[in-house]
Amino acid sequence: MSAIEQLPINEIRRPQDQAELLQAVQACYEQGLAMYPLGGETALAFGIPARDQGIGISLSEINQVVDFPARDLTVTVEAGLSLASLQTTLAAEGLCLPLHVPDAGQATVGGMVATNANGPARYGFGTVRDYVIGIHAVDGTATAFQGGGRVVKNVAGYDFCKLLTGSLGSLAIISQVTFKLRPTPEKWVSLVCQIPDWETAESCLAELVHSAVTPTAVELLTGPVELDVIAEVQGSGVATLVVCCSGTEVEIGWMQQQLLQEWQSQGLRGPALSGREHEALWQYLVEFPGAGSNALSLQASMIPSGVVEFIRELQQLDPQALIQAHAGNGVVVAKMPELPAAGLTEVVVGKLQPLARRHQGNVVILSAKEVSALTHRCVWGGTDMPFELMGRVKKRFDPKNLLNPGRFVYP
Amino acid sequence: MIQATISHLVEQLRSVVGSERVLSSHSDVMVYECDGFVIEKNCPDVVVFPATADQVSKIVDICNEADVPFLPRGAGTSLAGGCLPVGGGVMIVLTRMNEILEINVRDRYAVVEPGVVNVWLTQALKGSGYHYAPDPSSQGACTIGGNVATNSGGPHTLKYGVTVNHVLGIEAVLADGSIVQIGGPAEESPGLDLVGTIVGSEGTLAIVTKVWVRLTRNPQGYRTMLGIFESVEDATNAISAIIGAGIVPAALEMMDQGILVAVEEAFQFGFPLDAQAILLIEVDGLEAGLDQQRQQIVDLCMENGGREVRLAADDRERQKLWKCRKQAFGAIGRLSPSYCTQDGVVPRTQLPTILQRIMETGTKYGIRIVNVFHAGDGNIHPILLFDERDSDQVRHVLDASAEILQACLDLGGSVTGEHGIGVEKISFMNQMFSEDDLKVMDQLRIALNPENRLSPNKMLPTAGACGLEQRHPARRAAL
Repeated sequence: MSAIEQLPINEIRRPQDQAELLQAVQACYEQGLAMYPLGGETALAFGIPARDQGIGISLSEINQVVDFPARDLTVTVEAGLSLASLQTTLAAEGLCLPLHVPDAGQATVGGMVATNANGPARYGFGTVRDYVIGIHAVDGTATAFQGGGRVVKNVAGYDFCKLLTGSLGSLAIISQVTFKLRPTPEKWVSLVCQIPDWETAESCLAELVHSAVTPTAVELLTGPVELDVIAEVQGSGVATLVVCCSGTEVEIGWMQQQLLQEWQSQGLRGPALSGREHEALWQYLVEFPGAGSNALSLQASMIPSGVVEFIRELQQLDPQALIQAHAGNGVVVAKMPELPAAGLTEVVVGKLQPLARRHQGNVVILSAKEVSALTHRCVWGGTDMPFELMGRVKKRFDPKNLLNPGRFVYP
Repeated sequence: MIQATISHLVEQLRSVVGSERVLSSHSDVMVYECDGFVIEKNCPDVVVFPATADQVSKIVDICNEADVPFLPRGAGTSLAGGCLPVGGGVMIVLTRMNEILEINVRDRYAVVEPGVVNVWLTQALKGSGYHYAPDPSSQGACTIGGNVATNSGGPHTLKYGVTVNHVLGIEAVLADGSIVQIGGPAEESPGLDLVGTIVGSEGTLAIVTKVWVRLTRNPQGYRTMLGIFESVEDATNAISAIIGAGIVPAALEMMDQGILVAVEEAFQFGFPLDAQAILLIEVDGLEAGLDQQRQQIVDLCMENGGREVRLAADDRERQKLWKCRKQAFGAIGRLSPSYCTQDGVVPRTQLPTILQRIMETGTKYGIRIVNVFHAGDGNIHPILLFDERDSDQVRHVLDASAEILQACLDLGGSVTGEHGIGVEKISFMNQMFSEDDLKVMDQLRIALNPENRLSPNKMLPTAGACGLEQRHPARRAAL
């Protein structure tokens, strides 16, 4: 669905550079017109459905690589650059930004930062907030500002990089980002095993905490995994555990052998996938949140030891649900092909949010078909969150409430 | 503050924390007149030692009611005057809140009170296979609350990141006295990343009363090396080559000859005193990969003019090397009666340029400058040696410091990598940031600290701080 179909807008402005972006925001500010910042338009369903009539401001034309001093391991890019384009540029110098989002050819770096989208590598490499070291943006009063800088270590001034990461374009429109980078890992391997029952799932995950192996991703998948390389190993178990490791050839060889031995002592075994097989599986893991047509998809975050219980109860609520847990991080992504009979509010607010809270966590909705049910409580969760405090910040950055109005967490 | 107001405050504060926990006599509060930044001094009117968040909240209420400024303090090791009570007021010292409340290795987090000393947590984790990664050189004294306020770094930040990368959640008392929990042990929480925003805000946005920190798996092994170089330039080229080869060492530190002599005299490690620069390089991780990395590093050092690369023979030698590095500043007393260090950052490929500029600046002002710093991060710590009894030298040190920091900015860097702005570098904020940047920062400050009673006159030139004119650089420690 295009932005025009999903948002209450009848016009999309596409400023060509930073100066035009500023002018566009200035015009909206003066007219009191709602602004919906657009990147690759891959995550428009995230947030409370928009109601205020306004215009789209697309960053698609503001998409240049500004500075890439490869030997400093940093890159500065404009927000409209796609993540895939960025990775191609970096790969030419043997570097990468170890962040992964669905549809990376379309998704922009600005959108990734604004939505704080993170993939399976978060276990080994961290999340968006760990890589943004400088940021430029335009706030709701048409003030262009920046925070951070272009060096990897910098504590001068308030950290706007953190404040804007995950702010869903509600404080300011991100126009340029500086990232710190990592060398591209020499090699990857994915070790896959079938988990026979849920007790084994928890004990196996708990063992991994003390394993000598240092994984990059620890993923627990339920439901049929539509992937040939996995289908072959899927049996009658309750879930599939995927542990991905990256490193030098020697390290990968050692980790593969070590983990398979550890699994063996737990009565588990499975294949090691490398090369194209690993890549196909990795692609599946990265694309999971966005893939398929789902009535409801949500993300829960909790302490990692709560993941197995959460998945079990979720499956009872909806046996059809497809689940991907970044189990090492305590993050669970669930997709439901159809809305559960009990209704969205009952399932999310009545069951899943309290369940996540039991494990010191929370649930947010990533997308849902039944938009009328998407209340603030339903999308963003509990009343125990400091949303009022966040609202105070919002008022200072966007006093007229023009940026993505009504979509984010503010009361 | 007039005496009657102070007496009334003291009485009220005593009712909250007990009479033993409030100081107001001049000789008592003088201990708190400054932190590690000793150039500017000012006594707080009252010092109070709460034991709970609830008490902190009540103290803040009392300060608000009396319309007096207040600020938090940990161990007072900060280096930019973050704990300086500009304009007096109430200092809330959090060192009594020093419990490690929970360690949960399965879920890889710990919960600590702000007064917990950094190294206590790693000691408490001994045997668990996990540690708390941020390790500022002052870790034996500094508190985790203070680390949160300043977003502390340390030698191992090159691979593991700074404090903010390891903080999952905080409980804080806001400027209006309310207690709020932001984040927690779960990695994600909906809404703005106020945790990441408050970390590093130097006590101007909230008083942190509890911290959920991420625990990090201990590496299986280490290889700690000492690269010996005939010139500073060769050493910096080796750094570029190592990073350029796709190796991310756990730490990559440089010491030049000037500091080496003092460190050797203090610790007798056996450093070659004729070397112009040494690199302390540590790689960690899986044993299986370490020898390969070590060999690569040795080769790269030698290719870039290295004279020799020594390997720490065992853990004892490794610990000794790290002691030399972390306590290097303690050895400086052997070189000069007074010293002053800076905390600039440059893109790491600019290290040869900035070191050259530092040398030229030293020559220009007749000031001897030695260097020990986090080379892998491009985070320099030039140490300017002088005698504070000589007013000409004092003036030259201030001018030279400003020139070095300006050079960092000219090279695309920052005036502070880990020490903070505090009161020390406020005058540089206008050069690093535009008027609009500072205006927006001020908006954020107003959102959380609207009356500006919490840590006033810090960090932002717009927050009522007049550019403090510095006249007396003095002995300083650094990280």
